[in-house]
Amino acid sequence: MMTAILEPLRLWARLALAAIHAQMQYRTSFAIQNAVMFSVVVSELTPVWILAKYFGSLDGWSFAELALLYGMVGTSWAVVETALRGFENFAAYLLQGDLDRILLRPRSVILQVASRDFDARKLSRVAQAVLVLAIACASLRLGPTSLAWVAFGVTGGMLAFAGIVMGGAAIQFWTLGQASELQNILTYGGAAAMTYPVSIYATWFRRVLTFGVPLAFVNYFPALAALGRTEAAGWPAFVPWLSPLVCALVLALGLAAFARGLRRYESTGS
Amino acid sequence: VGSVRPYLQFARLAFQRRAAYRLANWTGVAVNFFFLVVHAQVLLAFFRSRPGALGWSPYDAVLYFSASEALLMVVGVFTDLRSNLAERVRTGEIVTDLARPITIYCRELAERYGVALYFMLARFTPVYLGALVLYGVAPPLKPELLLFPVALALAVGVSAGLWYLACSSAYFRDTANGELSALVFVNTLLGGMVVPLDFYPDWLRAIADVLPFRATLYTPVALLTGKLGGGALVFGLVHQLFWFAALAAASLAIEARGLRRLAAQGG
Repeated sequence: MMTAILEPLRLWARLALAAIHAQMQYRTSFAIQNAVMFSVVVSELTPVWILAKYFGSLDGWSFAELALLYGMVGTSWAVVETALRGFENFAAYLLQGDLDRILLRPRSVILQVASRDFDARKLSRVAQAVLVLAIACASLRLGPTSLAWVAFGVTGGMLAFAGIVMGGAAIQFWTLGQASELQNILTYGGAAAMTYPVSIYATWFRRVLTFGVPLAFVNYFPALAALGRTEAAGWPAFVPWLSPLVCALVLALGLAAFARGLRRYESTGS
Repeated sequence: VGSVRPYLQFARLAFQRRAAYRLANWTGVAVNFFFLVVHAQVLLAFFRSRPGALGWSPYDAVLYFSASEALLMVVGVFTDLRSNLAERVRTGEIVTDLARPITIYCRELAERYGVALYFMLARFTPVYLGALVLYGVAPPLKPELLLFPVALALAVGVSAGLWYLACSSAYFRDTANGELSALVFVNTLLGGMVVPLDFYPDWLRAIADVLPFRATLYTPVALLTGKLGGGALVFGLVHQLFWFAALAAASLAIEARGLRRLAAQGG
């Protein structure tokens, strides 16, 4: 039983280390890129900081509270982006025949796709998101219960984003890579939209984020619970508790869609 | 005049290369629109909490961001990490350029103008007009608008210079990916992509006004939004002109040095 879990993890780690080794070949460039990746946080949070500084707050959310939202969704997405990178590039594997090679090997397809194109620089994105999250939690003086809600949301977010990238890859089986950029709307765009409280959006957009692609359950509801504001925001107190359930459902749908596409797959004949 | 012709060809070919990927452009329009809808609502929420801040109505902010989002690809704020000068140096493809009687900087500049023209038609037009319809806003028709083409052309020129300088690291180290990603982040931040520079804290505004990055987005975008007039407009255009010339001179100097130093790979 343990080997069944450990074996794939060890394989993933080996593939990731091989990728890091390859990327270290251009050493200076690797260092600069890591430093730059780290400054992404500056360029993404500065506009929010400037606006919050000038206007005071956004619909009652202070800058520290907005940073909490950013840190939560940022951490979930950065972890998934690093660990499941191959799903984002999946269209290329379909078109160029790499998938045939993957299918020939006696290892899990999901695992092999996940660790392909592992990008070591993305690790610094994880680090910066965690850093923002930690500073936000510290400056808001969150207690143990609130911190548990934050952890709850971040974990759920990883499941949800994993489901989204798998679903996005699954769609490529049908569209043959032509829509590969559209899943960026859900991932990068979704993460950008969730930097702000869902309450500021127009009704239709709020509905999409709550019921359509339920990213609100990744950080908005858990953050409301952590700040003790669920009912003040007009939601029943049980809504944040639904987070893990909803996020697991997104993952299940993504996995099912990917498995279905894989069954349907006929090689390009390469 | 004869020597201008190859560059016109480069511009034309760059236009055609982009135009070949029609579906990719429409996906791009969809992505632009998504970010537009998100940030427009964020700006509306902020600006409604204090209407008339610095003479900006909430809809001025939306108008500003719409222009900024629609011009991103025209000006070339985002980096194409797959095919650019640095990548040609890394793979050794640069040798075909070295065998030609051309200046590589001028080729890059010409191509950027070709790409800019394509994105003006295929990206700016649907995104900007779509935003105007969606939010029911329109830019104020002021005489200053006549200067918009000038500001935009200079913005593309400054952007080409910044790109070239970032890519030119590859002459010395074979790769410039770090510098290129750095350029994207500095450009979005000090170019005022999301928030107009007018709302930046004074010290940050002062830095942004000196450095070249505001020439790529802020100047043409604020002008199109009707928020740049009088002395500020003159300063904006002179600032653009200065940096266009300075970056061109620096690019040509580095090209001369870099090509002497370059050992092309491949073969």
